Amino acid sequence: MPFLLTLLLALTLFTTGDPDEGRRGTFYLTDCRIETVTQGTLENGSLLVRDGLIEAVGEAVPQPADAEVVDCAGGTVYPGLIDGGTRLGLQEIGSLSETRDYAEIGNVTPHMQALTAVNPSSTLIPITRVSGVTTVLTAPSGGLLPGTAALITLNGYTPGHLDAGFRGVVLNFPSSARRGSWDRREAEEIEKQTKEAMEKLDDTWEQAVLFARIDSAYQVAPEPRPTREYVPEMAALAPVVRGEVPFLIEVNAAKDITRAIEWVQKNSVRAIFTGVAEGWRVADEIADAGIPVIAGPVLAQPTRDADRYDRAYANPGLMREAGVQVALRTSEVENVRNLPYHAAFAAAYGAPYGFGREAALEAVTIVPARLFGVDDRLGSIEAGKAATLFVADGDPFETKTEVHHLFIDGYLMPLTSRQTELYDEYLHRTPGLTK
Amino acid sequence: MLRSALLVALVLLALPARAQDATPKDPGVRPVTRTFAITNARVVPSPGRLLERATVVVRDGLIEAVGADVRPPFDAEIIAGDSLTVYAGFIDGLGHAAISDPEKKENEDKADIDPGHPPRDRAGIQPDRDARALLKADDGSVEALRKLGFTVAHTVPHDGMLPGRGAVILLAGENADALVLRGDASLFAQFEGASGVYPATPMGVLAELRQLARDAERRQEGERLYADDPAGLQRPVSDPARAALAPATHGERPVFFSVDDELEAHRALAIADELGLGLVLGGLRESTHLADKLATAGVPVFASLNLPKAEKDSTATDSAAVAPPTSEVFITERRTRSYADVDDEVDALRAKRREAIGLYERNAATLHAAGIPFGFATLGAKPADIRANLRRIVAAGLSEDDALAALTTTPAALLGLDRSLGTVEPGKMANLVVTKGSYFEEKAPVRFVFVDGQRFEIDEDKGFDPEAEVVVAGTWEYRLVTDDGVQTGTMTISDEGGTLGGTVVEPDGATHTMESVTLEGNRLTFRLPDTPFGAVDVSGLVTGDTYTAEVTGPSTSPITFTATRRPE
Amino acid sequence: MRTLLLFLLLAPAARAQPMGDLLIRGATVLTVTNGTLDDTDVLVRDGKIAEIGSGLSAPRGVRTIEASGRYLMPGIIDAHSHIGITSVNEATSPVTAQVWVGDVLNPLDIRLYRALAGGVTTSHAMHGSANVIGGRNETIKHRWGETDPETIRFEGAPRTIKFALGENPTRVHGKGRGIRPATRMGVETVLRDAFTEAQRYRERQDDYEAAQREGRRMMPPAYDLQLETLADILDGEILVHTHSYRADEILMLLRVLEDFGVERVTFQHANEGFKVAPELAAFGAGASVFSDWYAYKFEVYYSTAYNAAILTRNGVRTSINSDDSELIRHLYHEAAKAQHYGGLSDDEALALITINPAWQLGIDDRVGSIEIGKDADLVLFEGHPLSAYAVPQLTIVDGVVRFDRDQDPDDMRLFVDPEQEVDDVTLATEHADACMQDVATQGSWWLR
Repeated sequence: MPFLLTLLLALTLFTTGDPDEGRRGTFYLTDCRIETVTQGTLENGSLLVRDGLIEAVGEAVPQPADAEVVDCAGGTVYPGLIDGGTRLGLQEIGSLSETRDYAEIGNVTPHMQALTAVNPSSTLIPITRVSGVTTVLTAPSGGLLPGTAALITLNGYTPGHLDAGFRGVVLNFPSSARRGSWDRREAEEIEKQTKEAMEKLDDTWEQAVLFARIDSAYQVAPEPRPTREYVPEMAALAPVVRGEVPFLIEVNAAKDITRAIEWVQKNSVRAIFTGVAEGWRVADEIADAGIPVIAGPVLAQPTRDADRYDRAYANPGLMREAGVQVALRTSEVENVRNLPYHAAFAAAYGAPYGFGREAALEAVTIVPARLFGVDDRLGSIEAGKAATLFVADGDPFETKTEVHHLFIDGYLMPLTSRQTELYDEYLHRTPGLTK
Repeated sequence: MLRSALLVALVLLALPARAQDATPKDPGVRPVTRTFAITNARVVPSPGRLLERATVVVRDGLIEAVGADVRPPFDAEIIAGDSLTVYAGFIDGLGHAAISDPEKKENEDKADIDPGHPPRDRAGIQPDRDARALLKADDGSVEALRKLGFTVAHTVPHDGMLPGRGAVILLAGENADALVLRGDASLFAQFEGASGVYPATPMGVLAELRQLARDAERRQEGERLYADDPAGLQRPVSDPARAALAPATHGERPVFFSVDDELEAHRALAIADELGLGLVLGGLRESTHLADKLATAGVPVFASLNLPKAEKDSTATDSAAVAPPTSEVFITERRTRSYADVDDEVDALRAKRREAIGLYERNAATLHAAGIPFGFATLGAKPADIRANLRRIVAAGLSEDDALAALTTTPAALLGLDRSLGTVEPGKMANLVVTKGSYFEEKAPVRFVFVDGQRFEIDEDKGFDPEAEVVVAGTWEYRLVTDDGVQTGTMTISDEGGTLGGTVVEPDGATHTMESVTLEGNRLTFRLPDTPFGAVDVSGLVTGDTYTAEVTGPSTSPITFTATRRPE
Repeated sequence: MRTLLLFLLLAPAARAQPMGDLLIRGATVLTVTNGTLDDTDVLVRDGKIAEIGSGLSAPRGVRTIEASGRYLMPGIIDAHSHIGITSVNEATSPVTAQVWVGDVLNPLDIRLYRALAGGVTTSHAMHGSANVIGGRNETIKHRWGETDPETIRFEGAPRTIKFALGENPTRVHGKGRGIRPATRMGVETVLRDAFTEAQRYRERQDDYEAAQREGRRMMPPAYDLQLETLADILDGEILVHTHSYRADEILMLLRVLEDFGVERVTFQHANEGFKVAPELAAFGAGASVFSDWYAYKFEVYYSTAYNAAILTRNGVRTSINSDDSELIRHLYHEAAKAQHYGGLSDDEALALITINPAWQLGIDDRVGSIEIGKDADLVLFEGHPLSAYAVPQLTIVDGVVRFDRDQDPDDMRLFVDPEQEVDDVTLATEHADACMQDVATQGSWWLR
């Protein structure tokens, strides 16, 4: 792996202090193939990064004198990949509860803020970054309303640095699915529990609507006003009631999706469905309802023993064919870096349904950017957008491809992580067998 | 879970009766005669034979005479057999008749036990335990099976991989000893791991079987040496478990292996082959891919009488109900390309499941076609389902004669009791089933069962009128009579356009929602599903404003449940 | 009972596995051991690879598969899985060498078919990792369609056994039940105790046999299946496959094995194998690793996805395994990651899931490469198998097509549960820790 070694050496020359530190500046990327995602592909172009933004992109971008030149050497520029659903930063070591911060006690805790607990120093973040993933949704889980998810960029030292702007309240829609092969509940018991959870959801939502109405009235009521009740759960749901913040509705089994569509329509909620493992079964209903989905993991087993073996791979394609807007997610923590491969499988098995590589690339760039309302800054290579992008020597969905340069908000990020450092240290260990 | 009074009552009934010093014992009146003559009946002396208008004479526990020209003796009680059919008493090839399920010892004494080396009883290794020592003549299962026509059962202890040795018993008798026809009938084995200790998995059970059998040989060798001359030899340690295994590992005593499915059957066949066990499979539910192997191995089977629930009656919206034969729906390269095909997919999956249910229903027919000697096992079957399941088995292709053989002559032969059991012939034990109509028809109640010459009148259906039209909706006051007293509460039944539902509310407010509420003629049955003991069934007859029923559960004797409708 | 005994005969001998004949024409053949052969025909007779060349013609009645533009590789071998068996862990004791997953094979497990659809033809169905010395494993072939458990055994494969070091056994037995081992020191002791007991056992058996030969009277020693098995390990008749993560515990086992004269060992997972690659290479041990799993517990925190590459470069015979019913469906992709993390060549990457695991399981004379005389276990791909867009089309076991992407119906179940609802849905979005399967039901309530 001489390239990484060289790069490491190069970076040591340019940076001081923490090798993980990014470096901001004016960069002129030249001899690049540019897949803009939204504006087609430039076979040979240049790109100017200044003040954290893409200042210019095109076939003839003039080279400013003060710009540091980054030679793409014919490599391709892509917008940073966006994972639409992870737990990154909220968990360091899976089996150690002290390092897990994604599930608070309580069934209704929408006021739990993922961004509060994201650890910017998680060693998993640089490991993720080097594969071209620059931006992820990180979400609390467990219970009915586990908390508020945040979109984060993978560079920074404080929550403020990481914050990419978007918030969504997670709703685990009452599920009729088994949670694993060990779940041996009788069908009747599942039905009963689902029904109870639906009642709980309806009650909670009714309260949230009431809270939002009183809250709105309170804002315009004349003085003196009575003391308000303190209900932080409902305060967190009020923006959802008002349509300012969407519900990220985790729903997977076909009949639950159907129920969720009814619920969303009945309550006029702004919703994004997540997971959606059986979305293909009711893809027409989802498309008719106009609800976008964040599907995944793609590398997953079918939900039913009788299902065709490749259902999970083909699911994004089948939904897209029916007219559903599809973004992808890994549902991972330590292996969010596999997002490009989830996309590759979705493309390989979705191609017969019109969901080829191009659509898969959109599903991890511009589509999630639009769903999260950040497409003015992220998701494509366009002048004026954030310089969150990377240069690779081939198709980033292929394992043979290497990422050579990566920028987040104009910072040129080092392509090192604990994993590359261990590689460099141990490839030829000294001392070897004997000291 | 609310530990309601109803449930407590059920539990208490499942426990052994306590000493009740002062309870008077009514000695009753002796029978006037032990001789009976069933006259003018259809008699099926053995499967495939039929005697019209014949008489069967029973005296002192034996069949004295059978035939059209037999005259009833003067000392006989005459049973007019017009419209009745007489069969040999049925034989249950494997079950837990007269042996109740002990409480599980889940977490008892856990701290003191090394889970890797538990005491034998915790490990479930009790081959020295004898079913005879566990029999209870008044166990609810005795009457429950007898009512169905079973007169003899091969019964085995519960729990663990080697629960004990089986006994063949009569399903009637004054006391436990009186039940026993033959002890040491079998060694019972199952793939049931111990709770939290070795062997906890079927994998562990198989390893332990291997260990026990191979070590048993070593020990026997040592015992022979020592018996020959103890001088200079360490004494062999007494080991009743291994001693009890020896006849089985020498092929001298059959090993009845409880196997639920094909996988378990394969495993039992493999270990029996390896260890030289004389194998009999009991409780097998399905054998489609197995029949050839069983036939080649010559292993007899007691097929399960526990069938999967039949597909619910299809409603008009269920297009699968009128779908073409299943083979056309799914056998070929069915594809579900996208959402558009999902409705067809559901039809195909239903068809496939119907086909799977059919495989279970055809199990006995499959065994028969493969020439495998087989009887039936009640192991795991609910008595209330057994007659309906036998009808399904016959409907699925086993002839009535072959079904009868599997209930009578074949198990008699397999259990080595065919000289005294299995047919209606002079000299045989007077075990008889007397039905109104053919046993395999739906509305053919069992009227009498004779066990060892003792007559039992079955009045289960007394008062049942399939044509009756009764109204059950309303609020009822119920009474539940147990040994511990009487509980009263309310039962509410609703009837919405023919769909019945309801609740049972105990005095403390504990509410049970009824399931599977059905009304057939004047018989109302329902199920209370959510008890810690599984579902409890209530079944009885409605006469005017009274309901008289029995409650049955998985581990209880029947309890009487009566209700009176509250006036509007 | 005499009547009954008349029926009691011996069970039939294991059935012969079906063997097929095929001609696969014009594929790009990735032999793994002999490079890549363009536009090449492979003829299969009676389940074996009979000829490799060009212009081969199919004998009468032999099916020809036109494979021009497609890639043919050896059937993928997974050195670590837990599918096709109904028990995984007998977690009741730190040493359970007497148990054997080969007793509880399940040829009806749909996951076997799904793995086959990802090109897997052979897998190593392993006991779990709850015990220091777990049970024996079974090497199986994915002969989907067969229903007799005997038919999926890899006939003639050497016996193997599962060991486990580190957190799992210390958590289950030490922390869970107060039974040694609770530490990595205790794990070593449990191993040394067990091996020593086995030596003593073997001595007692030998004494007894000698006494019998010499006509001396002697009480026969007890038979102990556990110690018999351990003694067979010491005799080199059973290959050791040990669950392990940390460098220190890997070195510990190497020392113990060396002391007891055990030569064949494969370290499963070995997330820190890269730290002791020179020692592993010097011992001649194998390593069977994840492509990129880490951080799910403390002992895998200091991991690197470059593990396979570092091990390979240091001369350790390395494979990539699944230990998971999802991962097993795309091992070709997992192997390809070793190109991303460490730049292995195509042949090196493919060896990770073919000839190397075959060697670790002691079946490399039968499978793992496309060579004349080897079993015709083959996978035909659309796209190069190391491309993330590759799609397996046909999987062939012993010359019999067992997976056909075009022809297979969607529903490939061999067993339909008559008591299950047709729309029963199971989600497995969390990675189930298959290594620890069954443990929770054996009184270890602290496990998930």
